Amino acid sequence: MQAEITVLTRRGTAVMRKTHLLTGESIQFGRGTDNDVPLADIRAELTAAALRQGADGLFIQRLGDAPLRVNGETTANSPVRPGDEILIGPYKIVLGNPPAGLDVALSVELVEPIGDSLQRLLTQSSIGLDKTKLSKRRGSWLLFTTLTILCLAVPIALYSTREGVKPNTYVPADGGSSLLGIAWNPGEISNPHRYFAQNCGACHQNAFAAVKDSACLSCHSKIGNHIGSAIESDALPMRRLLEKMRCAECHEEHRGLRGLVTREEALCIGCHRSLAESLPKAGLRDVRGFPEGHPQFRLTLVADAATRRLQKADLGADPKPSDHPNLVFSHAAHLVPEGFPALGYKPMVCADCHVPEPSGQGFLAITYKGQCHDCHTQKFDAALPGKEVPHGDDERVITELEGFYASIALREGGPGGGVPAPEIERRLPASLLPPPSDPAGRRAWVRQQTSQALGIIFDKNRGCFYCHVPDSARGPFRVAPVMLLTRFLAPARFDHAKHAPIECDHCHDAQHSQASSDVLVPGIAMCVTCHGAETASFKAQSTCTSCHIFHRQELGPMHQVMAGEK
Amino acid sequence: MTATDPISGLHGRLSRHESFLVWKQFRYLKIACAAIAVSIILYLIDSPYGSRYGGSWAGYTLGTVGALLILWLMWFGYRKRSYLKNQGNLVAWLSAHVYLGLCLLVIATLHTGFHFGWNIHTLAYAMMCLVIASGAFGVFCYIQYPRSMTENRRGTTMPQLLGRVAGLNDQLRTVAMCVDDRTAALIERAVETTPIGGSTWRQLSGHYPDCATAAALAGMADSPANTAPDQALAMRQLRVLLNEKSELLTRARRDVRYKAKMDIWLYFHVPLSFALLAALLAHVVAVFYL
Repeated sequence: MQAEITVLTRRGTAVMRKTHLLTGESIQFGRGTDNDVPLADIRAELTAAALRQGADGLFIQRLGDAPLRVNGETTANSPVRPGDEILIGPYKIVLGNPPAGLDVALSVELVEPIGDSLQRLLTQSSIGLDKTKLSKRRGSWLLFTTLTILCLAVPIALYSTREGVKPNTYVPADGGSSLLGIAWNPGEISNPHRYFAQNCGACHQNAFAAVKDSACLSCHSKIGNHIGSAIESDALPMRRLLEKMRCAECHEEHRGLRGLVTREEALCIGCHRSLAESLPKAGLRDVRGFPEGHPQFRLTLVADAATRRLQKADLGADPKPSDHPNLVFSHAAHLVPEGFPALGYKPMVCADCHVPEPSGQGFLAITYKGQCHDCHTQKFDAALPGKEVPHGDDERVITELEGFYASIALREGGPGGGVPAPEIERRLPASLLPPPSDPAGRRAWVRQQTSQALGIIFDKNRGCFYCHVPDSARGPFRVAPVMLLTRFLAPARFDHAKHAPIECDHCHDAQHSQASSDVLVPGIAMCVTCHGAETASFKAQSTCTSCHIFHRQELGPMHQVMAGEK
Repeated sequence: MTATDPISGLHGRLSRHESFLVWKQFRYLKIACAAIAVSIILYLIDSPYGSRYGGSWAGYTLGTVGALLILWLMWFGYRKRSYLKNQGNLVAWLSAHVYLGLCLLVIATLHTGFHFGWNIHTLAYAMMCLVIASGAFGVFCYIQYPRSMTENRRGTTMPQLLGRVAGLNDQLRTVAMCVDDRTAALIERAVETTPIGGSTWRQLSGHYPDCATAAALAGMADSPANTAPDQALAMRQLRVLLNEKSELLTRARRDVRYKAKMDIWLYFHVPLSFALLAALLAHVVAVFYL
């Protein structure tokens, strides 16, 4: 196909024509320079349309997306003939009659130059969010400033302007401190500290400084040490080390309602796993965990009641450890199933003698008056059923008896006078022998009666020595001192109240205990039937602090507030 | 006429487009996954007394890494504007920004030890979550809308579309010269008021209730059928032109809508990032101040 292309350019009324010839299969129009007829306007497509020679003559075909109009009608493919007007974008192409020898003649003219209308359109349009009232910069400044003031400046101002308040005093809530407490609180405060929790300055006495011990000790001044100061052992450096540590190194606040006491066994085992090796003089045994790794209990028992000497004994030792309270006592004899009908007593139970402490944790000390007296009286004369000697002082027993009989002798006539003794004495059975009327006779009578009563009182089958051990070194009517312990596991706590549903004999084999030297404290094997490790799933989770306490008041204060520290 | 591939001859200078998501075969996705794995291992190894929390050694480590990561991620906002400095490929930066930003969610969550409350510490965490969520929405937009925009534009550009609309406006005026006054007024209004874009809501919704072109088309449909024969051709041409303009306007406005949807997340992402910076500052100061 051969074509004559005429490009028209108007300048006012003048028209410039530029004609050139083209040869090809088709004539392609478009913005691209590779087109046969380039249409140099942004609104024209890169490849817009093509004019081809078909079987029925010329036809124009749309190649792009923009509408193609032939004589005002939109089309995609249309036959054309001379005289037709084709509109491609802003260009008008008019087909003319081809000169001889050519197939096509056409004129190309930019009829709609970009002008004011585009400018006006652009003025009206507002494309892009950056043209709206939205502003990233403004929003950023607004949020940053607001949050900095509310979350940083206001709390610091509130904190700085507050006066120090003693931690153990109640602080009435005010808006400022509550806001500070809520906004900056990094975690739940432990329950015991909540009543002054809104007063941050009670513990946080200085900015950018760790909580000082003085803050803790203002309330907890009597907190006990972990290692005694009196011990002559290699544990003293450890004691000094512990004393140098800050309270907050172990007791972290803001860790939740559960409190500040660290219960994980790892904290204890960290030191106690190797204390036998590192501090051999301290006499401690290694603990590597519970139940595995925990040694058998070591009991505190009476070694010698007379000198009040105690001893430590391993419950698992062979032979079995024994207590020496200087008392003759058989649990088995008291727990007979038939009871004591002669005395009018039903079968005895543990609670008849073992009275719980008010806290329920342990039991009150066993006393003669509290536990023994009801059955084991200290009567000494059948003729005087209401009279008993005092308990607990063997010397006083003798003097009391002498005084008692002497007073009878005096009441009956006095020394050297009174009624002479009748030749034939008629007495009611079990009545007292009347005192002799002469003083020498009365003295002899008092001595005789006292001696007789002492024989009864200190009798080994019915008197003191039925339960007590004679102290022969001090004399015939002397009782060895008794020492009964109420706690056998000194560094541990066992709360009987928490174990109340369990029968006593489940743990304590009193039914078969014949002697007071028997140790009835159960071993660790009994505990582990119910108690497991701190992560146990099917046993009570137990950790060191379940039974042991760290701060032991009997070992002196843990920390002391230094002068000037407060 | 054979077209040559302009890219094939430019080896070494240009490469084919590679999405920031797949950059260097997911290099930063792999790095982010590794960071997550390390964080989880740190979290599990550390067993402080009580429950795990931000104050243990692993907690402080995760918190420090998280805070530095936040500062570095925010640096991207500055970096993407500085074209001249030789600081590596911007696509690489974006890829790292996206994947490391997402892994921050895991690092910071582990730092919290899953303890939350009504305080500035949780506020900082919540801000971070909002920033990451808005960023994730941005990634979704960058995947979703360019494709829709390409389909909508069909090879044309916005200036081209506007040029065509302007051309149609001129033609409409020319053709409307010979029609009746009522129709001419409709056409004139359609030509004079052709808003594209506008308020935030208009750009986002793509809703132009008072479009004069649509009104003119509706008005011409209502015009009496018995127009004079000399006007009938003009009226038909006007309808053709108006339809064409309406179609172009729909495309242009849809393009504006897609662009607005693609951009709007950034108007949350950036201010929230600065809110996060303030909250983070307050969090760090509060922890160490008291």
